[in-house]
Amino acid sequence: MNPSRSTRIALYAYGIFTIAFLYLPLVSVGFASVSKARYLSFPIKRYSAKWYGDALASDTVRDLLFTSLKVAVIVTVISMVVAFFGALAFARYHWRYRTLFQKLILLPIFFPQTVLGLALLMWFNSVGIIPTWKTAIVAHLVWIAPIATLIVAIRAYSFDPALEEAARDMGAGTWTILREITLPLLMPGIVSAGLFAFLLSWGNFPLSLFTTGADSTLPEWLYAKMVSGYSPLVPTLGVMSVVGSFVLILLAFSVAWLVRAVRESRAAEN
Amino acid sequence: MQSQPILRLRNVVKKFGSFTALHGVDLDIEEGEFFTIVGPSGSGKSTMIRLLVGMDEVTDGEIWLRDARIDQTPANLRPTCMVFQSLALFPHMSVGQNIEFPLKLKGTAPAVRKERALELLDLLRLPQSYYDKRISQCSGGEKQRVALARALAFDPEILFFDEPLSALDYRLRKTLEKELKSLHARTGKTFVYITHSLEEAMVMSDRIAIMKEGRFEQISVADEIYGRPISRFVAEFMGEVNLFDIEGTATGGLHGKGIEIHVNGDASDFGISLDNGVTGTLMVRPEYVRFLTSSATSDFIVRGILRAEYALGSRIQYEVEASAGQTLTIEKLREDRFDGAEGAEVVLGFDADHVHLIRGA
Repeated sequence: MNPSRSTRIALYAYGIFTIAFLYLPLVSVGFASVSKARYLSFPIKRYSAKWYGDALASDTVRDLLFTSLKVAVIVTVISMVVAFFGALAFARYHWRYRTLFQKLILLPIFFPQTVLGLALLMWFNSVGIIPTWKTAIVAHLVWIAPIATLIVAIRAYSFDPALEEAARDMGAGTWTILREITLPLLMPGIVSAGLFAFLLSWGNFPLSLFTTGADSTLPEWLYAKMVSGYSPLVPTLGVMSVVGSFVLILLAFSVAWLVRAVRESRAAEN
Repeated sequence: MQSQPILRLRNVVKKFGSFTALHGVDLDIEEGEFFTIVGPSGSGKSTMIRLLVGMDEVTDGEIWLRDARIDQTPANLRPTCMVFQSLALFPHMSVGQNIEFPLKLKGTAPAVRKERALELLDLLRLPQSYYDKRISQCSGGEKQRVALARALAFDPEILFFDEPLSALDYRLRKTLEKELKSLHARTGKTFVYITHSLEEAMVMSDRIAIMKEGRFEQISVADEIYGRPISRFVAEFMGEVNLFDIEGTATGGLHGKGIEIHVNGDASDFGISLDNGVTGTLMVRPEYVRFLTSSATSDFIVRGILRAEYALGSRIQYEVEASAGQTLTIEKLREDRFDGAEGAEVVLGFDADHVHLIRGA
């Protein structure tokens, strides 16, 4: 459909407004990170990359990044595995309490995260577990694994059960079917679930706040610095975090592209 | 036909909870036969094929493949293979990988696999360049052929088909019906085919089984089922038909119930007599009913009024309303078209050779 002239103008205006609304705050943080001043002020008088140098040299920053990364990577891996099997239970098999399971599994997503974090902290205390970054992994999983499961389940719903039956009919056992048919077909869903899991864990603040104990993740530190004693490293780390996430997504896409290219060239060789 | 059937079913029962889908079915399928099971939806034919390939378990009874009892063997250990209604081609594999899949599972070397896949592409009249194509790049008919090639690569003892043509348009279906029949002749394999389409069954099959409510109503060759159906159900299922309720008279003649049928001569001479008071159904297919002109005559005569005329392409169909509102269907080739205005009185005739008596209906 070709939009009329006035519709086109409205579409452009809408597009520009939305993009500006989404990205203006990020851009201003970007500017703040290259300001030479110790305090956040506009307009920026002198530019400097000093804070990036400081950030990269700082042990605190290194520890923060490492803790956040550790938590996010472990949450991602566990989420992907749980989501794969969970999605099969969710979408592929018909069993007695399936609809109940489908509803219960989504409930944690609707819990306010601060409430969930506090509840988990109380629970950890009552069973005598001292909160560290490890308990934060559990807390993140409670919230993120259901989301990941939902993402894979959407893929699993569009999957023709006859494909597995056909493979079995031609002599494939349960594990062969899983490896040759189910896993490859759900893979795009599993990869997107993994990406979401990583980003949700990496940027999570409310759950981490209650459950990391003495350890600190990047969002927690950023918050602490903003409420008590502003550091010019805040916008710097904020920008680094965004760039890091962006690089991760690029990486995931290029891996997917690479896998497809390899598969096609192998098919062409045969 | 050989002495020992390749597939034998003995008193096969399948229940889903309190619902019985199959009521103790017996069946023998001969080596190399093209056997088709036809029935309306809900007749139990899909349940039947799922039991035969091993995707569901029998509740009771036995299934034998030659000398081996297989009803407890899981699908992946049975030497049979099925072409699915949805075809179930693997979308993440190329055409070649799909065809080679069963061979890969059997541990065949890659070079041998490829050679066999290319042979099968030839057999199914697909160009060898399709080997590297993606499934999504194939048309509906090409997908059918790939699914067939994959099933043949498995080299099954029996090849099962679960309505694989039902989703295709008419022309393609007609082409593929003939191809399947010729493929059956070229491979010499036993084909067991499930469909709800009578035409498909008639074109391809050596023998046809008609299913109704979890039982076989009739098992025979196409001509027999079409011309000498065992029940009203089979007669009506196998295409257009005229059925008349009749009753034997005290004088050994026939008397139409709700319709006036004039019998020219003695019905018992035609071999279609009923004892006094016994009812039955007289069947005649539309193509055997003639419009009688003044001088002509026939064994059976019915009078009525021409109500409608429909063009069916090569044939013309007429509807004639006889006495008491019963409608007769008549079909003529276009070249034998009957010139009569709607509402005209007509005399219809048919001969004993083309009449079949269904007893006890």
